[in-house]
Order: sequence, then structure tokens, then C-alpha cells
Amino acid sequence: MPTDLARLRNFCIIAHIDHGKSTLADRLLDLTHAVSERNMRAQYLDKMDLERERGITIKAQAVRLAYAAADGREYVLNLIDTPGHVDFSYEVSRALAACEGAVLLVDAAQGIEAQTLANLYLAVEADLTILPVINKIDLPAAQPDRVAREIEQVLGVPAHEMLRVSAKTGEGVPALLEALVGRVPPPAGDPLAPARALVFDSLYDPYRGVIAYVRMVDGRLAPRERMRMMAAGGVSETEEVGVFAPEAVATEELTAGEVGYLIPGVKDVRQVRVGDTATSAARPAAEPLPGYREPRPMVYSGLYPIEGDDFPALRDALDRLRLNDAALLYEPETSTALGFGFRCGFLGLLHMDIVRERLEREFDLALITTAPNVAYRVTLETGETLMVSNPTELPPAGDIQRIEEPYVAAMVLCPADYIGPVMELCQSRRGELGTMEYLSEERVELRYQLPLAEIIFDFFDQLKSRTRGYASLDYEPSGYREADLVKVDVLLQGEPVDAFSAIVHKDKAYAYGRAMTARLRRLIPRQLYEVAIQAAIGSRVIARETISARRKDVLAKCYGGDVTRKRKLLERQKEGKRRMKQIGRVEVPQEAFVAALRTDEGGTR
Amino acid sequence: MTAVLAAPALEAPLVDRDHFGVYVHVPFCSSRCHYCDFVTYTGMEGLRRPYAAALLAEADLAVAALGPAPPTVTSVFVGGGTPTLLPTGDLARVLDRLRALLPHAPGAEVTVEANPETVDRAVADGLAAAGVTRVSMGAQSFDDRVLAALGRTHGAARVGEALAVLRAAGVPAVNLDLIYGCPGEDDASWAATLAAAVALGPEHLSAYALGIEPATRFGRLVAAGRMTAPDDDLLADRYEAACTALAAAGYAHYEVSNWARGLGHASRHNLTYWRRGRYLGLGAGAHEFDGATRSWNVAGVPAYLQAVRAARRPTAGRERLDAAEARFEALALRLRTADGLDPAEARVLGVDPAGAPAAELRDAGLLASGPRLRLTERGMFLHGEVVARLAPD
Repeated sequence: MPTDLARLRNFCIIAHIDHGKSTLADRLLDLTHAVSERNMRAQYLDKMDLERERGITIKAQAVRLAYAAADGREYVLNLIDTPGHVDFSYEVSRALAACEGAVLLVDAAQGIEAQTLANLYLAVEADLTILPVINKIDLPAAQPDRVAREIEQVLGVPAHEMLRVSAKTGEGVPALLEALVGRVPPPAGDPLAPARALVFDSLYDPYRGVIAYVRMVDGRLAPRERMRMMAAGGVSETEEVGVFAPEAVATEELTAGEVGYLIPGVKDVRQVRVGDTATSAARPAAEPLPGYREPRPMVYSGLYPIEGDDFPALRDALDRLRLNDAALLYEPETSTALGFGFRCGFLGLLHMDIVRERLEREFDLALITTAPNVAYRVTLETGETLMVSNPTELPPAGDIQRIEEPYVAAMVLCPADYIGPVMELCQSRRGELGTMEYLSEERVELRYQLPLAEIIFDFFDQLKSRTRGYASLDYEPSGYREADLVKVDVLLQGEPVDAFSAIVHKDKAYAYGRAMTARLRRLIPRQLYEVAIQAAIGSRVIARETISARRKDVLAKCYGGDVTRKRKLLERQKEGKRRMKQIGRVEVPQEAFVAALRTDEGGTR
Repeated sequence: MTAVLAAPALEAPLVDRDHFGVYVHVPFCSSRCHYCDFVTYTGMEGLRRPYAAALLAEADLAVAALGPAPPTVTSVFVGGGTPTLLPTGDLARVLDRLRALLPHAPGAEVTVEANPETVDRAVADGLAAAGVTRVSMGAQSFDDRVLAALGRTHGAARVGEALAVLRAAGVPAVNLDLIYGCPGEDDASWAATLAAAVALGPEHLSAYALGIEPATRFGRLVAAGRMTAPDDDLLADRYEAACTALAAAGYAHYEVSNWARGLGHASRHNLTYWRRGRYLGLGAGAHEFDGATRSWNVAGVPAYLQAVRAARRPTAGRERLDAAEARFEALALRLRTADGLDPAEARVLGVDPAGAPAAELRDAGLLASGPRLRLTERGMFLHGEVVARLAPD
């Protein structure tokens, strides 16, 4: 039975991390009895363990709620969950496109944050009906009136129209359910037109293959029907369609306006990417739904197994992760220092962290990760243009006409008291101030153009520490700009160590060189010979440290004939030596690579 | 019978069949020094007599296990702890028992460790009468401030007095132990300590770098950040100063930490360890080696006494070395000595004496030139690195 469109409401919740989205979702499930008390676990929507631990939502999910409204009618409410991180803003935009309404959930003690604002702008662009909701009104520190003024300033909604709830206690949540029915419009869409389903998420299930989360925009799709992905071009036979109630329940069809899943009978998520349009192969739509985009890596890093023998295992693990992560890109590369590994492209730092953690946790791999970098657009003297995502692949300076680097348009929200420190930080990162607007007397929105490379290290941590945690950040790519960039190499006894090469702005080359050589001097054990550690731009040395030769490495006497302990110590030393990487004559322990490459990045949560 | 001829050549670098030692451990001290993590106990005076009796009983048990034709003893070493805290009569009984149980080579070396403050005329006479040929004294330093910092209870002057009574009693050879890198020590005080030690004319000198062991007062102080562990460069400076001063005084540097006035005065017992000779180990915490298996006794005195009273060897653990372990151990031990290995022995241990690692170590000045694998004095202080580079994978 297709659902009566007039009784359907598709909505999502826009919220900053910790502003209570998952708790609110739990309350909505409670009140609509979608999940029996016994099956209820905290934060129902977050599936992966990793998400539970980090308290964030990586994959969008959907759940269907049956709600008996005050008007005596039964409504179907589809709640589409959205990821809450800047790395996944494209996924957010697709999830928003699947809805007619959005709950803007704001913490009554914290106020609106940059992330929320960015997603709110996306929702307004997508023409959604926005329901502002102030959460956590039960907290002693709650300032609902101040927050209401802030939202009024941003959204133009009168403060008295805003709902005030406590997702924790349930206070105000019934009124929110009524508002969803009363204020969010029912889906439009032509049930008789050729089928168009927007994929807003997809995942890989080892038993069923790819499962696509879709919003039927027009027409209908049914099982055992040939369907086509309009961007990817693949045709397959649909195995199953269904809805989430909240567990997957197969249905006879999905019709315009509905939110549910379809199992297209394919094995690779790249064939069913977020943003693509599914249509009927027999009666295809003329035009796909707008907004499809190929995943676009922003940050690159080399991933190497600490044990060289693990290279095949790493390859298998990446192949398996890719089944579930269409945005993960990788290709094999070789480093003289680190051996065989992969250059991987990620949506952002959080995405990188997640992939690395999953590789280590789910696949039990020990990895060395090179410092994250961005992709540079290099124009050669010959006029040829190439993209460089690995610093060691930068052509010699003499061949290069110009180098361009990716920029982002960044938005920082912070209390007015911290404008100074924030501006100082952005300037030190080569930022260019765009606009500055007061959201309220106390809160300011700053817009900057910043080189992406400057924010992928410790920018967010710095921002947080300079504002005592009060600033929030969002950014989106804003194109490439030419910059005065150089490659800094690090040399041990004159031998370049490729893993430590970096492309940096000329003004920061000395600082990078000094920091890296000093760090290595602390990490590389003394050798039989004096070791020179140099940083160089081309053949010009810009920093140097020296490790003096080791003079003592001997165990005390074999006391009372106790040879066993000494032999074991020496065997361990010998074993340790075997695990060292040889750079020319210099022996570098793996731990030194790991520690030297450890960045202090904090992600942009 | 070519096999008979071949066998010793193959075995020579692995096990020294010409030497057989007996180590006797006396785990009593009147106070614990701040650097010491040896098996020794304070405040167990009441257990000394039963312990001495148990040593005799354990000697019976150990020798019985050697079978009808035990090897000839070439050295006995009574170490501690402070062996001279046992009445010399008890020490004599132990040495006599060993002589009764085992054949001794003519002129076998019999060493007893002593702390200077325990050596008076009566003790010296007692040791000489017991047939002790060598007394090893823990002098450690000739700087009273350093001695106090180490937790030693004797003063610098006491060493000379003890040495004089040992000489007067007719003890043929004396060793002095020294420690460098100590709190309160500086270049000058170490030079003065070396000079004072040399002036006393001992036949043998041992100089050890201070090591910070976790289960010691120093270890706890360092862990708590209240003391700095001696830095490797400083230890290397002191080591070099010792090498220079002792060479000038006519001492031969025959092992990483050991010097002798003529190689005839080298410690035969310790050479047995470094050449992988066999040795019995008697007493709490003592180690022994039968040519294939290393084993060690329980460390606690009560547990030791219990076992021996029940007519059992108080063995706490053992390990049988496989061929690769034995070769590695032989390489590590033999390289500690100035003799090192001849090319044939090196090859038996899997090391090419003219291979690339050896050549590189010669270039770096850590191995002496020539066909033998011999560490230079600088190489001795980098023994661990040299072994790690030479040992086959």
C-alpha cells in the first residue's frame, strides 16, 4: 500500500555535535512506539561502534515513525539522520534534498554553532521548511531567550514561534511532533512520472550487497525490476525495496514521496553513489535529479604498514573498506623510507582518522601515516598542468611555472570577546578576512579565505584553545590560488627521506625545516657516526642538526655468572636493529617515523 | 678418527672445556648500597649459620649430580653480598668441602669478595688460612663524598688498611672494584680515585660504569626525578680516563671492565664465564652452566634453606640454549674480552671475520685491525652495537 502523500512528512534534524540530536531522535522513537522499550538502546540511530564512541554520526540513516496526530489521523514521519561533520557536507546536502522540513536543534546553553549554521544555509537553499527548536531547556545553564534572539537574527523567525524542548526529559517533544505534521509540507512528486529516486546514502552489507537509502521523488520502484543508476550508468535487477520501521521491512514498492531503501543487487558502493538517481531501466527518466557530484578528496596521506609483510593485508583491508565508503580513494605508492604503501585521498581529516582507525581496529593493522597534505595544481614551463598529491612527486623547481593550492571559504563563529585571537590565528595561517557580522551582541561570524593546507594540521585545536573552546568552524572548498610554495626535503647524511618532504609556503619553510630537524634529532638514536640532519629547498640547506656519535653501549658485568639476562637484552637489541629502516648509513627506528609524522591535528569536530 | 680431531675445533668457541668454576653466593650485607640490585639481604644475621651449613649440603647435592668423574676445578669464587660477613671458619669449611668433593687443579684460583670495612687482621689471616688466593674488595671510590653518596659504609682510607693486612696475611692477589659516573664524582675526583687505586698496587682492577637499576634507591630517585642518571658521554669520558690511566700504570685491559697487572693476574673465574666454561652455582640466587643448560637457584634465603633441607637442589629456573642462541651468546661473551675470536672460531659462530659488517666496524675503529675479531678499547664500550652488527640473522 503506497502511503497517502498528504499523510507523509520527510524531515531531518540539523544540530551541532552534543546539542542533543540523537537524544531527540530517541524521544521521537519513544513517543511513536517505533522501538519497543526492550530493544531501545541509547542513540538508536548511530550504528557503528566507532560512532558510538565518538558520539558522532558518520552515515546518514533513516527511520519511519507512525504518529497518531491530535487531528485523529495517522501520519508517517520519515526522520532522515545527517552526518554532523564538515568532511561530509556533501552527504548532508543530499540528505537535506530528500526532505521537506528540517528541525534546527540548538543547545539552550551553547547557542548556534558554525556547523549548524552552514547546514542551516544548505537547508534554506534546498527550500526546506525550518522548525527552530531550542533544546536542553532543563539545564541550569540554559539561556533559551538569548539563543532565541540569536536564531531570530539568523533566520528571521520570531522568537515566540520557536519550540522549546528537553529531549532528555521529553518536555515539549509532543508539541514538536504536532509542529512537524502541521508545518512541514507533505512531499510533492508525480507518482505516475518515470521513476526517480535520490540516493542519499549507501552502505555495503556482506549478505545483501549494497543497500541504498533513497527518497523516491517521482514514480515508483519495485523488486525484480530492472533499474539504472543515471550517473554511474549501471543496470541491475532490484532485489528488494522497503522502509525502516525502524528495522528494514520489505515492501511491494516505493512510491513518490516515500523514504526507504532499495537493494540493487550490486557489490560495490561506487556503483550506487550518494547523489546519484535511480530510475527504471524500462522507462527511464529524461533527466537525473540535480546535484550529483563525484566524491572529491580534500586531504591526502600515505598509509604504510609498520611491518612490510602487512602490505597485502593493507590492500585487502582498503578494498573491503571501499565497499562501504565510496569517498575513499587510494593507489599504491612506494617510499624509500617506508616501503610499500598507499597514497589515500580523504574527504577531510575526520574521514582520514576514521579510515585509519577502522584499518587498525577492524583489520588489526599497525600503520604509519604520513603528514596529511592537499593536492596542488602545478603548471609546468611547458604549459602542461598536473595535480600533485604527494610532495615527493613535485617536479624540480626549475620546471615549474606556477603552483596553485586549494583554498576554502571558512566560517568561524565565536564570542565577540575572542575576535582578536581568532583574527590573529587566521592571519598567521595566511587567511584573508572577508566579512564580519554580529549574530547577536555577544556572537560574531567571521568569514575567511584560507589555504586548505593551513587548516589541516592543528588549526581547529588552536582555534579551540584560543577561544577556550567557544569558537566553531565550518568551511567549504573555494577554488585554487597561486602561492609562493616550495618543497622542503629532509636529509639524513645527505640522503633525502621522502616521507618527510613537504610542500610549504616559502615564509614557513624555515620554521618547518627547523621543527622537523629538531624533532628528528630527538627521535633518532645516536649512531656509530655523527649524523647530520638537514632540511633543504633544492640544494640549499635551510636548517641543520647534528646527532653526535654514540660512545657507550655496553652492559654491566655478568654478575655471578648470570649470562641469561644479558643475552636476552642483547638479543632484543639485535632484533630491534633488524626492524630499523636503513637510510643510507643511518638506522632509523620505525617508532621515529611514527613519532616524527605524528601531527597534532584535531579534526574539525 | 677425524671426528675426534674435528670436535674440539667446532666446540672451542662454544664451550671452554678446560675450565670449570664453582660460584658460591653469600647473600648478606650489613646495609644495602644505593646502586645495588644483587641478591642480598640485610637484617638476616640469624640465618648466617644455617646458611653456611646449607651451602655444604648443597655442595654435596650438586657434586653428586656431576657423576663419578667430575671435572677438575680451576677456580672458586665466593661472591655476595658480603662473604666476609660469614665467620671465616664457615668460609673455610665450604672451601674445604669443595676440595674434598672435587678435584682441584694445582694453583686453582680461590677468590673471596670482601668489603673493606669487614677486613681486619683476623679476617685476613682466616682467609689466607682457608686457602684463598685472591681477595676482591669493593673499594668503589677513593673520594669520601662519593662513597657516602653511594651508601657505602667505609671511608677511602679503610681500603689501604684492609689491603695492607691482606698482604701481611699472605693473600697472594687483590682486586679492587671501582665505580664511575657516581653522584658527587667529577673528572678530578675520578682521576684521583684511579691514582689512589694504582698507588696501592693491586694485581687486578675492575672499573664499572654506574648503572641505574629500577629496584634500587638510585632507581627510585631517578624515577622520581630527584636524581639524574649518568649520561652516556660522561660515562664514556670516565671510561677513557680509566683506560689511559691504567695503561700508563702498566695494567692490561683484558675485558670491558677489567684490568690486570700482567695477564697472569686476570680473573680466571670470570674468564670462565666469558669463554662459556662450565660452572656450578651454590647458594641463593646463584647461577650455573653445565655446557648446555643454564639454571639458577631461588633468590630467597628461607626458600633456599627449605629446599636444601629437603635434600633438593633449590633450582628456580633453567633454560636450555638452542644452537643459534649458544652461538649468539658465545659471540657476545667472547667479544667482551680483549682476546676476541680467531677467524676460525668466528666462522663457527656464523660470523665472517672479513665480511662487510666486520670491515665497517674496523673502519669505524671499533674492531682492531688484523684477522682476529677483537674489540678496540672504544669498541669495548660499544660492545652491544658491535654484537648486534656482527651476529648473523
